[in-house]
Amino acid sequence: MSALGVVILAPVLAAMLVLLLRQWAGVVAAGGALIALLASMWLLYGAVSGAPAALVLPGLPRMPLLLEAGSLTAILSLMVAVVAFFVLIFAVGYMAHDREKPRFFATMLMFVAAMQLLVLSADWITLLAAWELIGVSSYLLIGFWHGKPGVAGAATRAFIYTRSADLGLYIGAFLLIGLAGTSEISASLATTGTPAMVAGLLLLVAAMGKSAQVPLNDWLQRAMAGPTPVSALLHSATLVAAGAILLIRIAPMLPAQTLVVVGLVGGVTTMVTGLIALGEKDLKRLLAASTSSQYGLMLLAIGAGAWVVALLHLLAHAAIKSGLFLGAGVFQHARGSTLMDDIAGAGRAQPRVFAGFTLAALALAGLPPLAGFFSKDAIIAAALASPGAAWLLPLGLAGTVLTGAYMARALMQLWQPTSIAAPDDENLRWMGWGLAGVVALAVGLGAAFPALEALLGEKMVVSTLAMMLGLGAAAIGLLLGWFVAPRVLLGPLYAWAQNGFAIAGGMDALVLRPAMAMARACNRVEAGIYAGVLGFGRAMMHLGRGTRFTDEAGIDGTIFGFVRATIRSGKRARLLQSAMIHRSLALTITATGILAIGLFAAPLFY
Amino acid sequence: MIPVISLAVFLPLAAGLLLMALPKSSSRLAHGVGIGASALTFLLTLVIWARGVVPGGFAQVEEVSWIEAVGAAYRVGVDGLSLPLVLLTSLLFLLGFIYQAKSADRARSFTILMLMLETASIGTFVALDALLFYVFFEVSLVSMYFMIAGWGGAERQRAALMFFIYTLLGSLPLLLAILGLFLASDPYTFDMRLWIEAPPLVGIGAMLALIAMLFTFAVKIPAFPVHTWLPAAHVQAPTVGSVILAGVMLKFGTYGLVRFALQMTPDAFRQIGVVVLAVGVVGAIYGAFVALAQSDIKRMVAYTSVNHMGYVVIAVAIAALATDPGMRAIALDGAILQMISHGLVTGALFFLVGMLKDRAHTREMDEMGGLLKVVPVLGWTYILMAFASLGLPGLAHFPAEFQIFLATLNVSPWAVVSILAIVVVAGLYLRSISMVFLGEPDKKWLGMPDLDRREVIVLVPLIVLTILIGIAPSWLLDLIHITTASMGF
Repeated sequence: MSALGVVILAPVLAAMLVLLLRQWAGVVAAGGALIALLASMWLLYGAVSGAPAALVLPGLPRMPLLLEAGSLTAILSLMVAVVAFFVLIFAVGYMAHDREKPRFFATMLMFVAAMQLLVLSADWITLLAAWELIGVSSYLLIGFWHGKPGVAGAATRAFIYTRSADLGLYIGAFLLIGLAGTSEISASLATTGTPAMVAGLLLLVAAMGKSAQVPLNDWLQRAMAGPTPVSALLHSATLVAAGAILLIRIAPMLPAQTLVVVGLVGGVTTMVTGLIALGEKDLKRLLAASTSSQYGLMLLAIGAGAWVVALLHLLAHAAIKSGLFLGAGVFQHARGSTLMDDIAGAGRAQPRVFAGFTLAALALAGLPPLAGFFSKDAIIAAALASPGAAWLLPLGLAGTVLTGAYMARALMQLWQPTSIAAPDDENLRWMGWGLAGVVALAVGLGAAFPALEALLGEKMVVSTLAMMLGLGAAAIGLLLGWFVAPRVLLGPLYAWAQNGFAIAGGMDALVLRPAMAMARACNRVEAGIYAGVLGFGRAMMHLGRGTRFTDEAGIDGTIFGFVRATIRSGKRARLLQSAMIHRSLALTITATGILAIGLFAAPLFY
Repeated sequence: MIPVISLAVFLPLAAGLLLMALPKSSSRLAHGVGIGASALTFLLTLVIWARGVVPGGFAQVEEVSWIEAVGAAYRVGVDGLSLPLVLLTSLLFLLGFIYQAKSADRARSFTILMLMLETASIGTFVALDALLFYVFFEVSLVSMYFMIAGWGGAERQRAALMFFIYTLLGSLPLLLAILGLFLASDPYTFDMRLWIEAPPLVGIGAMLALIAMLFTFAVKIPAFPVHTWLPAAHVQAPTVGSVILAGVMLKFGTYGLVRFALQMTPDAFRQIGVVVLAVGVVGAIYGAFVALAQSDIKRMVAYTSVNHMGYVVIAVAIAALATDPGMRAIALDGAILQMISHGLVTGALFFLVGMLKDRAHTREMDEMGGLLKVVPVLGWTYILMAFASLGLPGLAHFPAEFQIFLATLNVSPWAVVSILAIVVVAGLYLRSISMVFLGEPDKKWLGMPDLDRREVIVLVPLIVLTILIGIAPSWLLDLIHITTASMGF
């Protein structure tokens, strides 16, 4: 079987095995992820050596399902596989005491398989299918502890938000298939002019939903209701990444007008969600807002015309953000909470975990020689070189300053003096290994960037000015965050930021309530129609009774005879008792029989 | 050649007559006869499937002369449109009999009614003679009427009456249209194949016949605004009645829409295709919103049928409007697959809702909660089927709706606004999952038993088929496509 099949089916089969065995769930899951990891390495090898793997499966008539591991998709597949593997290793420890481990690991594996399907898809149907399957997997994972209050709402919200935005992908894909006459993505990339602009904007809407861009950002922060390994996966290499990946893949098709919008959405998001992150009182919610902000930077890079830079930041961010969430998970394990006040000093109590967390945080802020330095530097350089530099550069720099600020704030909080000792738990070992794996990537991934660029045949813009600006912004951010309280930094924006910058009551007031009002209005119309029909029926029956004693001959008689039959059956129906159904039934059968005999006998008389 | 189609049509009726002839039979015997006869019928339909269909016409035609003077004959046969529906029908009846086997409530009468209904249902789909079609179409109404009136809920009489008024008034125009087509045919014939090959009516005559047929089938589908009998009937109907009503009988309307309206008056349909399209769009959106407002879970599922059938209406209208034969085939493939998917998924949902009602003795969603912890198998099956119904990829509705919307956007872009309904439907199903199954269960639910073996047997085939169609629809679509690719009108 092709390595493509293994990458996707290994997690699926492992999930089935987990559900069947109900024992050793974590180890089986990590094993499945390891096999997928090896297979995706093989895929990348194939892409590098010029023999990309491809697979054609039967789909709809004239529209087969296609999978292909080209350079870009093989790199993404490997990223998914690596992060998934380390997160699952972490989860073996984290979920050790949960009674529903099999369900957890099975759903996580399904999540990973759906994401692999998405990155490897080469036709719109497969991509769309994978896109939605990721949505439902995250629904199941966010809702994992469904007995707890608020969890069901968070899961429902995540699914509905992303599905609403998915309509953009649906319509965009229909448009592109109709234009190209085929469902292959590669054929669609040749689209130009107005259709390309419209399709690009539609796909942007879908990407904004998945990558939690303003104004569709609110669901992501609420998605913290799930277990922490879910967040680590969902924020780094899977659900949220899907949006940026979609845009990276269609970037060659996007005309200048669409790129402007993409860049603007990204720039505004990186600012707004960066401010939200700074005002957060909960570490996990801070990290969630930061995810939106970082994806905003990626969209900004795509808008600046440098999709390869966005890809590098996506890879760096995947390693960094999973590291940050896994670290946060350890602290949560120790303190039973992720509120900033409750985890004060948790890092000082567990210095090795804190070291990992700090490395990831500094990498995100963009300090050399960590991975985030190279990608963030490249984003600034791309913004500087783009035609929209006048507004892309300030937004990008603001995002960078904010990144430094909120990460420094988190670090400072974790480094507070404390008297609470860390718990001694054998499961920490698994968690430690998972964390160490992704942090190592967050530190060293930058070294691989030149090789990746060569593989993709694209070159990053290099600029000393951009590097100075980027470093300066990161340093300013870190210093501000460490020394100045967010309340002071944000000033009058503080309360608004904590409210997620909701405008006019936010999405609930703008979409949800009107939808429910619409539903109730339709229901009232419904009651009206029902009453109308019932009234009509009654009127007809009165009419029938009235004419019973009048002339029964001619056409009138025939018509009202029919009505009378209706009335009779109506009365009969009202009288129906359990004992009488036999008689009615016999009557019907007899009548049907006579009718049938009459019809069949008719030819004899002709 | 053994007349397998005729056997499949009349075997249930024969079993019903046999049961009637047996004096004082026990419930056990009645259930045995029902399951046996429907299982045998199911096997017969599998044989029909194995014999296959041919492009550009009907296969396995069986013909016996009847009223020669008027060109009426007993004619049955199948194509890629009717064969999937026949398979769906025989499967749902078999599962219905298995589900009903626990009930001792006048088992003999119920079984006879169901068997009569099965004959009428399969007959409606395979009839190739318009008179024969009409007879089967009408007989099915009588059976369903008695099923609701005899075994329904507290307000069953009113619901049954509503059902009867609607469908009785509804089917008269069809008779007129059939007579019109008959009078215009030369020589006189009721042979549907000839009517399809060379539509006898043109101009105003065709338009009037089409309008008459559209009225009949709109009631049956049911399309907005003549759909109000459906929720009323569903709420009162017994579980099996609902399954057959939604799974099989609604398809009479959409089947007739393609077989009669589209194939026999194609030019008139093309002229007023936009109106039909608008009816479909409004129905799809309206059905979704009304479903969202429901608190009774069975009513909610019933209204989602209005939504799903709205997509079928859209697809048929798009097929009529399409000028590119490729897009037309995509729309029709989607329409037919949507009928099958709806039968499987909504059939399963009505079974599940019935199973839930049997346990909780209520259908009000806000009275339940946390049931996933009490009845996990029931709960997860409901979640799976709810996701299928909201069009999740990998499950049965996705390939159908994908094709429908794809064709819609490329033929009449404005109508793609109906895609908004898929978000509303997603919302209402997640709301129902959240209200009924998530959270902590109330103490009064703690002793609730999970699904028993019989219930699992009923659900498993539906689950398996839902997934099979979702993951690899080609085994069914290829069959449908043989006919749709060669439909020239």
